[in-house]
Amino acid sequence: MECSFGLVGKGYTLIASDTNSARSIVKMKNDEDKIKVLTPHLCMAYSGEAGDTVQFAEYVERNLRLHQIRHYTELRPPSSAAWIRRVLADSLRSRKPYQVNLLLGGYDTSDDTPHLYWIDYLGTMAKVPFAAHGYGAYFALSTLDRYHDPTADLEQGLETLKRCIEEVQKRLIVGLPKWNVKIIDQDGVRELEI
Amino acid sequence: MSIMSYNGGSVVAMVGKNCVAIASDLRLGSQALTVATDFQKIFPVTDRIFLGLPGLATDVLTLKERFRFRVNMYTIKEEREIEPETFAHLVSSTLYERRFGPYFVEPVIAGLGKDNKPFIAATDLIGCLTLPKDFAVSGTASDKMFGVAEGLWEPDLEPEDLFETISQTLMNAVDRDAYSGWGAIVHVITPDKVITRTLKSRMD
Amino acid sequence: MSRSYDRALTVFSPDGHLFQVEYALEAVRKGTCAVGVRGKDVVVLGVEKKSVLQLQDPRTVRKVAMLDDHICLAFAGLTADGRVLIDKARIECQSHRLTVEDPVSVEYITRHIAGIQQRYTQSGGVRPFGISTLIVGFDPQDSKPRLYQTEPSGIYSAWKANAIGRSSKTVREFLEKNHKDDMGRDETIKLTIKSLLEVVQTGAKNIDISVMEGYNKVTNLDLSQIEALVAEIEREKEQDAERKRSRLAATAASEAAMSAGASAP
Repeated sequence: MECSFGLVGKGYTLIASDTNSARSIVKMKNDEDKIKVLTPHLCMAYSGEAGDTVQFAEYVERNLRLHQIRHYTELRPPSSAAWIRRVLADSLRSRKPYQVNLLLGGYDTSDDTPHLYWIDYLGTMAKVPFAAHGYGAYFALSTLDRYHDPTADLEQGLETLKRCIEEVQKRLIVGLPKWNVKIIDQDGVRELEI
Repeated sequence: MSIMSYNGGSVVAMVGKNCVAIASDLRLGSQALTVATDFQKIFPVTDRIFLGLPGLATDVLTLKERFRFRVNMYTIKEEREIEPETFAHLVSSTLYERRFGPYFVEPVIAGLGKDNKPFIAATDLIGCLTLPKDFAVSGTASDKMFGVAEGLWEPDLEPEDLFETISQTLMNAVDRDAYSGWGAIVHVITPDKVITRTLKSRMD
Repeated sequence: MSRSYDRALTVFSPDGHLFQVEYALEAVRKGTCAVGVRGKDVVVLGVEKKSVLQLQDPRTVRKVAMLDDHICLAFAGLTADGRVLIDKARIECQSHRLTVEDPVSVEYITRHIAGIQQRYTQSGGVRPFGISTLIVGFDPQDSKPRLYQTEPSGIYSAWKANAIGRSSKTVREFLEKNHKDDMGRDETIKLTIKSLLEVVQTGAKNIDISVMEGYNKVTNLDLSQIEALVAEIEREKEQDAERKRSRLAATAASEAAMSAGASAP
């Protein structure tokens, strides 16, 4: 019952994820940060099989850091996304594939554009203006279809994001009370209170 | 639920008089849920060859990259552009390499060969080639497209008529298919240019 | 006699030498000089860099590499071998973080690098790395600077200050004479440059200085800064020499006066 959203606005990308950590029907933790900051201008919301998720996120984090040290520059969002997708696609045909779904939000400082990628555990990738994973997607995508505006300022963007969260909280049978929201813009990644 | 129709999507190619056309829808889904409405399934191989890859989206992306790599290697080593027939066999052998763990994609190839000879081909997911004289269809709406194309296609169509025929075929078929749709893209390859148009269809 | 022991395989000679390893050390001695000096809470790497050719991009000729946020490495010897070893070390730094969450300690990565170098003296079909390295940095949650050295044989050791490469003996002897414990930032940098100037005749333009002051705090001095320091050192040397000269002159004068007085009737 994990859930994450992302949307692109004017000069920023927003990513939100619930903060539950559950095992079967038991809630183990309610303040889990499921959005990993990968590089100064890139972060990734992950959900899926327990164990695989954090393991995969850390694997990606360390590889992007290695790239940064080797090449004295950080990988841009489209290239990062392509690499991450490839890892998942290769993993899919291995003995034990990673079962991780991702939303990748980034800001390209070289041409000042916000980016959002929807990636699933199969290695399917799409560059999208807004995206969602989990059961919440069934509610949030329609909300976003109606209210999303790629030229909206941050205040309006957050308003839309809140609508999605409220919709999920209203209609999904599982309560997801706490949410973790991160913004990626030219100043890097920040956490936002919502 | 078949793997082949997990993400949805359809491609069709048609032969005309000294020209060929290839068209696809733009939907990317996750079963019944639509994730993106601008997902390209047709990729340029050379200036005169296009490759359509309907099927499992992860394999569409992986194969797009693999074919780009293999065609670039061919062009560099041979110092010439690849011919459509050669490329069709490259596609076939690339897929057959994975005979017992296939890529879930059924490609369609369209291009102009030497002397602007129209060429279309399609393969199944393990690379069995078919070389039709008239049209090739593939994807979740392939059965519907067979029907429409059978009714609309005629020999020696000029580029503009071919565009109309392929567009009508695709759009009328995908409108009856829940897994395809959300707009379409059409490429008509003629000896001196490629005409690319995006179409709006029923956006639901 | 020794012909059969210095070919492709690293095999002992009858008197217990590994010729390939000794040749590797020779390659190190031919490489440009690198110096590492530890201060109180700073550690400085100084390297002699070859003159950049007129049309070459100087940014692409690097002898000091960052391994991780808190560790830097300088090497002397075959640059190509250095690159390979640096890449292996960088991967280990990230891999260590991935497996145990913590960054590597300086000793750990030194041991790892020395381990790789040792392996290349004992396996078939390979030759030893033709480089010695100086590894500097800070351990996690610690402010004490560290300095280690590794050699082609796989030996590693910790130092207060050390030099490798061409004329490293001269530089090391200079450091032995002039190194003090608990030096401040400026003093440490100055000692590094001074020691390098012992063997680098061409001065500031052939010296690179990297200063490490903690996690993510690595600064490379630019040419003007080094030039200023070199000028300052030259001035001090000049003053020293001047003092010595005047003292000598004074002694000579007084001696002359004395002998003149003695010879007077």
